Amino acid sequence: MTIAPKGPRKLTMKQRYEALTRDLDWEPSYVDKRDVFPHTEFEGIKIHDWGKWEDPFRLTVDAYAKYQAEKDKRLYAVLDGFAQSQGHLSLTDASYLNAMKVFLQGVTPLEYTAHRNFAYLARHLNGPGPRFAALCQSIDELRHTQTEIHTLSNYNKYYGGFHNYLEQHDRVWYLSVPKSFFDDALSAGPFEFLIAIGFSFEYLLTNLLFVPFMSGASFNGDLPTMTFGFSAQSDESRHMTLGLEAIKFILEQDEGNVPIVQAWIDKWFWRGYRVTALVAQMLDYMLPRKVMSWKESFELYFEEQMLGGLFADLAFYGITPPKHVDDAIAEKETLSHQVYWTLYQFSHAAAFTTSVPDAEHQQWLRDNYPDTFEQLYQPLWAKEEKNIEAGGRHFWRGLPQLCQVCQVPMLFTEPGDPTTICQRESVYDGETFQTCSNGCQWIFEREPEKYVQAWLPVHQIYQGSCGGPTLPDVLQWYGLEEGDSGEYKGSVDEKNWNTWHDDHAPTGTEG
Amino acid sequence: MTVKSIGAYEFPSRSRQELYGDDQLVHVWFTDTLWFAAAACFRAPRAMTWADFWNGVVVPFAEEDPDFDAAAPRVWTLHGAQFQPRDDQTLAELGVGHKDVIGTRVAA
Repeated sequence: MTIAPKGPRKLTMKQRYEALTRDLDWEPSYVDKRDVFPHTEFEGIKIHDWGKWEDPFRLTVDAYAKYQAEKDKRLYAVLDGFAQSQGHLSLTDASYLNAMKVFLQGVTPLEYTAHRNFAYLARHLNGPGPRFAALCQSIDELRHTQTEIHTLSNYNKYYGGFHNYLEQHDRVWYLSVPKSFFDDALSAGPFEFLIAIGFSFEYLLTNLLFVPFMSGASFNGDLPTMTFGFSAQSDESRHMTLGLEAIKFILEQDEGNVPIVQAWIDKWFWRGYRVTALVAQMLDYMLPRKVMSWKESFELYFEEQMLGGLFADLAFYGITPPKHVDDAIAEKETLSHQVYWTLYQFSHAAAFTTSVPDAEHQQWLRDNYPDTFEQLYQPLWAKEEKNIEAGGRHFWRGLPQLCQVCQVPMLFTEPGDPTTICQRESVYDGETFQTCSNGCQWIFEREPEKYVQAWLPVHQIYQGSCGGPTLPDVLQWYGLEEGDSGEYKGSVDEKNWNTWHDDHAPTGTEG
Repeated sequence: MTVKSIGAYEFPSRSRQELYGDDQLVHVWFTDTLWFAAAACFRAPRAMTWADFWNGVVVPFAEEDPDFDAAAPRVWTLHGAQFQPRDDQTLAELGVGHKDVIGTRVAA
């Protein structure tokens, strides 16, 4: 009788993972390690043992590809079904798509930028664990870019505002807000990028940014976007884990890292928070069927979950809540109203449309903002309603002052005084620079050499860099076409929507 | 504090005055109304007189507000202090520099 030889021992998932990631790493023998990884010292962060990085993903490339392929299959089945059944006709209203136009123009290109930068981290971080984690996230971000474009491309057949989002991301004034935010991170060192995007954006603010868009889709009949949201959700939770792992790893490596990380949290909270201004107005003004108010969303996703939960945990490391967080909290009753009022008067130069909120919408705003809407913003809309009756429509005849850091028009008001615009001024190298808030001024004065290079759309228009000296020249350079911009009532989108729905009205009813 | 960088980090401002030739940027902030969501930014020659700036640049912009009254007496501020512009003074003579903010409201 012979004893059968033992088969090769099967590795556990964890061992397999180790084998496929860390065990492929090696120590360079004839090249200095600093020459292999030249970008991880200049920021002042000290890492003593890269091996201490806990791999948050625990995925191998083949498992990763298998999961993502299954999710893609489900998503693309929904996209096909929606397109074939003319699903766009069952949205709540064509005006809902303004939210998705802002998303495609403002957020989707950021996914691509994130893909680029995580690919950079996958090359430049010294440890194999974080390199592999960054590689997975880089692929995720590319997949999100593609699936978002595919998800929203069906609407481009029928509605304005979707056809030139990539070029517009690089050119149009309100899109310079998200673009400059990410470019700021892209031009920082690898550790600052990890805190800026991996932690502050993907962890601290991600629920405020993504959940409102996806819930808005679900409440307004946009099945494809909702399905995309689900498809991305499991990736996003991995990204959140990576962000949290990154910050804990850096903090645990050296006490000297704590003040550096704290300053980055202070900076990137405020930078990211300013980008969410676009989300705030979307939630309160662009959704025909409301999900929750910005104020409620901010209280739940930020004040409760982050300030109450996350920062209580980080206190162990000596990390405190972001520097200007009180100014953000003080704005929650006013932010969305001020931002939409601004977009409303500049929508002739945007790739979306706006309109005066109707009576029912204003009632919702009064109910959700009992301390501010009726007193401060309802009178502005009432004045505009009269203006429209008299044959006007509030469109600016000029260009606004922009914040040097966040690039939002200087529309924000003083903390605690909602009727006085907040103006902050700094002088650097003999030149005057204005910022919109204590947070943006602090960021400017911390690194003025960086922000003096800002490509501010208004200044560039005046320098003649944007297609020509007149507004029509600039709008043409933006690639705006008939039906993309301006007032929603009477727009191409609204007319088409009414025509399509009149055709389907039951016999005997008025359209 | 300065930027932490891997190499020399010196770049010119992308909005410095010389990029506008004989002109400069001037902000006008209507402090007593929220009709205009932000202060306005104009490009104007430094040698432009106040009368030309007000009547030719600012008024055509501000008239879009149905309540705007170009003839109303106004209070003016520059760098936080009140000033009284004369029609024949140029922006340069008034001390209005590149990217300065001129505040204005109807006198009570």
